[in-house]
Amino acid sequence: MRSAIRLFVIAVAVTLAPAAFAQGFRPARPVEVVVHTGPGGGNDVLARAIAAIVDKEKLLPVRMQVVNKPGGNGNLAMAYVAEKRGDSNTIGFFTANMVTAYLVSAEAKVTVRDLVPVARLVLEPAVIAVKADAPFKTLADFIDAAKLKPGQLKQSGGSITSRDNVVRQLLQKNSGARWVYISFPGGGERIAALLGGHVDLMVIEPEEAGEHIRAGSMRLLAQVSEKRLPAYPNVPTLKEAGFDIPVVPQIRGVVAPPGTSRESLEYWEDLFRKLTRTASWKKYLADNQFEDGYQNGAGLAKFLDEFTDQMRGILKDAGIKTVR
Amino acid sequence: MEIFSGLMHGFAVALEPANLMWCFAGVFLGTVVGILPGLGPPATIAMLLPLTFSMNPASAMIMLAGIYYGAKYGGSTTSILMNVPGESASVVTCLDGYQMARKGRAGPALGIAAIASFIAGTVGVLGLMLVAPPLAKFALSFSSPEYFSLMAVGLAMVVLLAGRSMVKALLAALVGLWIASMGTDLFSATSRFTFGRMELLSGIDFVVVAIGVFALGEVLSNMETHEEAQLMPMPKGVRNFLPTLQDLKDCRFAFLNGSVIGFLVGVLPGAGSTIASFLSYGVEKAVSRRREEFGTGVIEGVAAPEGANNSETGGALVPLLTLGIPGSGTTAILLAALVLWGFKPGPLFIPENPTLFWGLVASMYIGNVMLLILNLPLVPLFAQVLRLPVYALYPLIFGVAVVGVYSESGSMFALALLLVFGLLGYLMRKLDYPSAPLILGLVLGGGMERALRQSLMMSEGSLSILVSRPISAVMLSLAIVILLIPLFSNINAWRLRVLEQEEP
Repeated sequence: MRSAIRLFVIAVAVTLAPAAFAQGFRPARPVEVVVHTGPGGGNDVLARAIAAIVDKEKLLPVRMQVVNKPGGNGNLAMAYVAEKRGDSNTIGFFTANMVTAYLVSAEAKVTVRDLVPVARLVLEPAVIAVKADAPFKTLADFIDAAKLKPGQLKQSGGSITSRDNVVRQLLQKNSGARWVYISFPGGGERIAALLGGHVDLMVIEPEEAGEHIRAGSMRLLAQVSEKRLPAYPNVPTLKEAGFDIPVVPQIRGVVAPPGTSRESLEYWEDLFRKLTRTASWKKYLADNQFEDGYQNGAGLAKFLDEFTDQMRGILKDAGIKTVR
Repeated sequence: MEIFSGLMHGFAVALEPANLMWCFAGVFLGTVVGILPGLGPPATIAMLLPLTFSMNPASAMIMLAGIYYGAKYGGSTTSILMNVPGESASVVTCLDGYQMARKGRAGPALGIAAIASFIAGTVGVLGLMLVAPPLAKFALSFSSPEYFSLMAVGLAMVVLLAGRSMVKALLAALVGLWIASMGTDLFSATSRFTFGRMELLSGIDFVVVAIGVFALGEVLSNMETHEEAQLMPMPKGVRNFLPTLQDLKDCRFAFLNGSVIGFLVGVLPGAGSTIASFLSYGVEKAVSRRREEFGTGVIEGVAAPEGANNSETGGALVPLLTLGIPGSGTTAILLAALVLWGFKPGPLFIPENPTLFWGLVASMYIGNVMLLILNLPLVPLFAQVLRLPVYALYPLIFGVAVVGVYSESGSMFALALLLVFGLLGYLMRKLDYPSAPLILGLVLGGGMERALRQSLMMSEGSLSILVSRPISAVMLSLAIVILLIPLFSNINAWRLRVLEQEEP
């Protein structure tokens, strides 16, 4: 242990030495990386994987310390980052869910846009799956069946504001078909409900679906992405399947506290740009079947504004009460 | 035969010196995080995950699983000694465990927790090894209506947890259900009982309530009676630290009950170890001949839930390894770990990775033995905590509660909630309301509401779905039988009274 600490101190000293000559900001103590889930949640796993890659590729002179601030549908984590006004040693991870949470809960005090956008990192595509022995061979089959029996087919998914339901809303609006959406809190329960034949359809992450398809228990009808994923060259995108609806991305990225100095913002933007160019990062994306969604701070700011308006419209269409 | 050769292969993997070391590291860490309230296995595994990238996956899995089931052993320690549940699955252990400690039987309580954990943990691994694939299919036939009925059985047990007054128990359970309904509704995104606080948007963590009501409530109500310098009698001699032969005999059924219920509930992705421990406690009490003594420090009341939360681990690994479906926070992060190491958990995982699967199974047999050897000698050591005078013990309990809640939530608001629930626990004790029904309502409320609404959405609004599906119908009938138990005992009491009056 002691020798590990000594090594660490030497490593820090060596990497810090040139810093004295470098311009601008450079973190001198461990960086606090705030995530809104408990350990094991989506952003937590992403943040820890990034911390490991940053460490392996020696992109940062100090350690990244993941801090879990669960609760309040992500609002607690955002409020925590907001309180760290001007602190260059704190960054936070966000997801698209935080944008919707702010739109529907009056209790939320802070939005992603109150924080300083640093980088958009990941776009998570999704696929639409049915049980392997289901009668539907194409998405059109399912939609036709839903039109014949309005409100009788079922889809399992997460909360009503999640992307799963947004895809359903857009498909329903586009086709005029209607089916039931049943919320399950855990991803495992959603898959179990589909495999057990208790629901007919689900929107699932491509990586999660992979093994069930290989084992012959699940079949894909379409993919929720702009172009076909490498893993599923034979599954049509929504557009190719005949449903020209907007592809709603599930995004993850990085924000900094409000009042962050220009130097430190540039430092963080640069760090994450470098990260997305490493081989380890590309492997991580490929392993999880994520898409590289890199955008810098300015691009992310524009994206968030558009995305918020888009989501507000979709939620209203879905009959969900928005408060802003 | 296939199982036998698989197991032999597994032991060959698990008995490699490096793997034995990782197994020990895992179960040791697990015991430690189990003892510390607040720091749970998911957080520990998440923190260690980056370290495992450079490890051989079989060794890494052996270690991480060791943390998972090792924590279930440690969880009972603070429940018994301080009335502070170390893990959510150890809440029920407080009911009789802490009472045993107050009677000077902390040693046997801790000892039986380790023994029950060992027996049920081993049975859980046996189940994982022998019946994993068929049982996974069974778990899939379980859906919302079945979950509703299962939780109805759990909630019916409120009649068993009631003290002298049934009305007070029902009121406490209702408060629990009410707290469970707080937060953002999953189905409509509507905020319920958030009082305009964003901290309440995802509801109240039940560990905060349990620690507040049990531990702080206990400290507050005992502070009034400050005449004793030492709270608990502390016998001398090693023999008094271990369960007697009679204790083991009393627990025979509890071992079986905990093992079976824990494993079966564990297999279901939507239930979890807290529900498993409540159910096995309820079953133990329902069939016990000394039902009225439960809650006053009965040893079976410790053995059953502690067994159940250990065999639950073996059960929870069934859907994870056979289907790639995680049922809890810990299995979700184990799944993430498998993916990060380059595995693809799913239906083909076990046939394609026999070394990992059998190595894990074999290591779990070994790990459970290690845990027993590790935990039994610790019993007399931990029990020394109770030698502390009251003026030191109470601040210690208070400190452990505060640190536990803060390390889990990282928020000052949660500490304020802890105080509120501490006061609630104090008032409930003063007014003679039982606290267990409140916790039961809180544990089951959210899941039960969701299961009912999901069922009704599946059936397009018809309640018949709850009785037209056989498993659900059986469990609902069971719930009704449990609700009628007090009635039977009343009838029996009347009958005895009448008999007495007739025989002058």
